[in-house]
Amino acid sequence: MSRDPPDFSNVKGGGSSSATPSTPDFSNVQSGGSSTATKIYEVKSGDSLSKIAKREYGDANAWNRIFEANTDILKDPNKIYPGQKLKIPPK
Amino acid sequence: MKNLTRYLTIALFAAGLAACGKKEEAPKPAPAPAPAPAPAPAPAPAAVTVSSATLGSAVGADKKVTAPKESFAKNDTIYVAVDTAGSGTANLKAKWTFTGKDGKAVPVKEDSQTIQSTGPSTTEFHISKPDGWPVGDYQVEVMQDDKVVQTKKFSVK
Repeated sequence: MSRDPPDFSNVKGGGSSSATPSTPDFSNVQSGGSSTATKIYEVKSGDSLSKIAKREYGDANAWNRIFEANTDILKDPNKIYPGQKLKIPPK
Repeated sequence: MKNLTRYLTIALFAAGLAACGKKEEAPKPAPAPAPAPAPAPAPAPAAVTVSSATLGSAVGADKKVTAPKESFAKNDTIYVAVDTAGSGTANLKAKWTFTGKDGKAVPVKEDSQTIQSTGPSTTEFHISKPDGWPVGDYQVEVMQDDKVVQTKKFSVK
């Protein structure tokens, strides 16, 4: 009369919760910033004035504003070097 | 003999006068005027200092928070506007953290801006999360040149 123990080997599990996990994932957080003061930006490898203008002003065509603000150290808008510190006028 | 006596008398008189006469001293040069005191150096412009930090979900063209708040919705963009005074160069940093249930701080994001200020200015930092913020407690530390100068706590509900 002894019964075999039931077989639970094929039970599938899972679950979810609306509660905040104890260590939430913030890897997709986006950030930014701006200032009413002139910002100082250090040129990184791969930068161009257009790229910097796009990032700072949201408009790549505004590169000339950055060039004009830095004619003391820039002679050619196509030649900027990593480590140069550029003044970024406020928007 | 009379003439000789007269000559001697005159000679002695002249010699006496010469002996008694004071040498006239050359007039002392007028003392040079004291040099004018060096002009006091212009007071050094006050260095940049953080005067306040304000949280909100939007900023205006002047970078100031338009509606301050410390409780946000899950899909809000969260701003901190940092007011500074003085002139010079300063590095400002915003370090955002989430406070876990165990009380431990979980890093959210860190951003910095170097500013060259000539007077009062406002610098804003903002964060957003496309899939929404986890509900809970957060804080942002505003640092100037790597020193915490303001701490603001907020929550997402």
